[in-house]
Amino acid sequence: MQTGMQARKYRLQGAGLDLALPYLMLAPGLTIVLGVLVYPLWDGLRASTRAYRYGSPVSHVGFRNYVQLWSDAQFLNSLWVTVKFVALSVSIEAVLGFALALFCLHEFRGIRLLRTVLIIPMVITPVVVAILFRLIYASDAGMLTALSEAMGGGGVQILGNPLNAFIGLVVLDVWEWTPLMFLILLAGLQSLPHEPFEAARVDGAGSWRVFADLTFPMMRPVLAVAIVLRTIDAFGTFDQVFVLTRGGPGEATRLISIYGYDTAFKFQQTGYAAALFVTIGLVVLALAFSAIRLLRRIDAS
Amino acid sequence: MSTRLARILTTIFVLAVVLLPIYWLVSTSLKSNREITQEGTLYPHVPTLDNYVRLFTEKQFGSYLTNSVVVTFFSVAIALVFGAMGAYAIARFRLPFAAERKIGLFLLTLRIIPPVVILIPVYLLMLSLGLLDSWLGLIATYTAFNVTFCVWMMESFFREIPVDLEEAAMVDGDSRFGAFRRITLPLAAPGLAATAIFAVLVTFNEFLFALALTATPRAMTMPRGTATLIGRIDTDWASMAAAGVIGALPIVFFALLVQRHLVRGLTMGAVK
Repeated sequence: MQTGMQARKYRLQGAGLDLALPYLMLAPGLTIVLGVLVYPLWDGLRASTRAYRYGSPVSHVGFRNYVQLWSDAQFLNSLWVTVKFVALSVSIEAVLGFALALFCLHEFRGIRLLRTVLIIPMVITPVVVAILFRLIYASDAGMLTALSEAMGGGGVQILGNPLNAFIGLVVLDVWEWTPLMFLILLAGLQSLPHEPFEAARVDGAGSWRVFADLTFPMMRPVLAVAIVLRTIDAFGTFDQVFVLTRGGPGEATRLISIYGYDTAFKFQQTGYAAALFVTIGLVVLALAFSAIRLLRRIDAS
Repeated sequence: MSTRLARILTTIFVLAVVLLPIYWLVSTSLKSNREITQEGTLYPHVPTLDNYVRLFTEKQFGSYLTNSVVVTFFSVAIALVFGAMGAYAIARFRLPFAAERKIGLFLLTLRIIPPVVILIPVYLLMLSLGLLDSWLGLIATYTAFNVTFCVWMMESFFREIPVDLEEAAMVDGDSRFGAFRRITLPLAAPGLAATAIFAVLVTFNEFLFALALTATPRAMTMPRGTATLIGRIDTDWASMAAAGVIGALPIVFFALLVQRHLVRGLTMGAVK
C-alpha cells in the first residue's frame, strides 16, 4: 500500500546522542511489543507442540496437534461455519455499502443526519450489539415477537433454530459493519477524478454505462482494500457470538474463535488450542499477503 | 421529483434499520420485567429507572466504569507517546540495512494477525507475572496492541510534514529531538487526535482479553462486566437492556462528539 515516492529521510550523522536518537525513540514501543506480543507469539508456537494436563505441559508431541486438527470434526465444522459467515457477511456488506455510498454521493438534505447515524453501529461496543440483537430475537421479550403479536401473529423463533440463528448472526454483522464499508467506499468515490464523468455525460452515456465502464473499474482498488480489511476482521469475530449464541444451537454458529476459546479455557487443552490458533494466524496472514499481491497487480494494470 | 421521493424513502428506511434496534434497547431498559415478558408492549407504558439504579447499587457497574476509564486512558496515553516516537524514527531516519522499514513492516504484520491467536500465551504470561485480574495486566496488553496501531497510523502523518521545517528549527539551534517536539508534533496534532480517538474506541470496547485476563469487579471492564451479568441472569431482560445502554452510552457519546476525526481514522489507509 505504500508505493509511490519515498519521502526524504535523514542519514545518521554526527556522534553520540544524535546517532542513537532513532534507536532511543524506537526502544520503548518495541520493548513493550516484544514483551507482550512477540514473546507470547513465540510461546504460543512452543505450546502448540506440547501436550498439556491441568494447564501444565507434560510431553512434547511435535506436530501431532496440527495433524490432529484436520481429523477433528468439530474443528472442521467451525472452520466451515467461519468461512460461510465471513463470505456471506462481507459480500452483503460490500454490495449494500457500495449502493449506499453511490446514493449518498450527491448532496441532499438529510445526508448529514444519515452519515452521523451510520457511525453508531460500528462504534457501539460489540458486546452491546449482541445484546441489541438478543433483545430483537428473543422469543419471549423480542422485538420481532412483539411486532408479530401486534400484527396478530405468534411468537418468532430465531436463536433456537440452527439456520435462523446463523442468519441472525449474519444480519447482526451486516447491521454493525455495513456503515464502515459505506464510509470507506464513499471516501473512495469522492476522491475519483471528475473529468471522465463529465466526458461521459457530454457523450450522453446512461447511468448504468457510466457505472459499469467508469465508476466500478475505478473503484476496484478501494473496494478490494475494504473487502480485505473486513474479511481479516470478520475472521476473528468473537464477542458478538459469545454473547448472542455462545456458538449454539448445537454448533450452528460456533466460529473458529469460539471453538478455540472453549478448547483452551473450558476443556483446558492448552497445546491443542495453541496449535489451532497458530493455524488461524497463518491462514489470515496468507490471506492478507495474497490480497496485497493481488492489489499490487490491480494497481499496476 | 421521483428521484427526490426515492431519496427520502431510502433515507427513512436506512434510519429506521439503524435506529429501531437502539430504540428497542432503550425502551426495554425502561420497562419492568413483568411488562417485558407478559405484556409485550411496543413502548414502556409504566417507565421506570429501577433497572439502572440496580446496576449501580447491586451489580458493581460503578467499578466496571472506573476500570474501563483507567485502563483505556493509560493504555492509549502510553501508546501514543511510544507510538509517536517510534513512528517518527521510522518516517524520518535511514537506518543500516533499511532496519526502519523492516520494523514498520513487522509491526504491520503483527497488526494483521487476529488478537485471538496470542490469547493463550498472553494469559499464561500474565498468570506467571501475577498480573491476572489487575489494571496493570490489561494496561500492558492494550498498550502493546495500541503501539502497533499508533506507529502504523502516525508514520503516514509524519511523512506528510515537510522535513524543511524541522531543518529550519535545527538551524535556529534546536536539537533534533527538540525540533520533533516543538515543530513536528504540533503540526501532526490532527493526525494524533484521529489516532487517539480510534485507539480509545477499540480499547474501551475490547472484550476477548478482558474476558480471559479478568475475573472480579476489581479489574473487569464495562464489556466484560456486561457479559458476566448476562451469563448469570438469562431472562432478566430489563437489567440486560439497561446494562447495554450504560455500556454503549459513553462510547457513542464520545464518537459523536469527535465524529469528524473519527471518520478520517476509520477510512484512512484504505483510501490513499
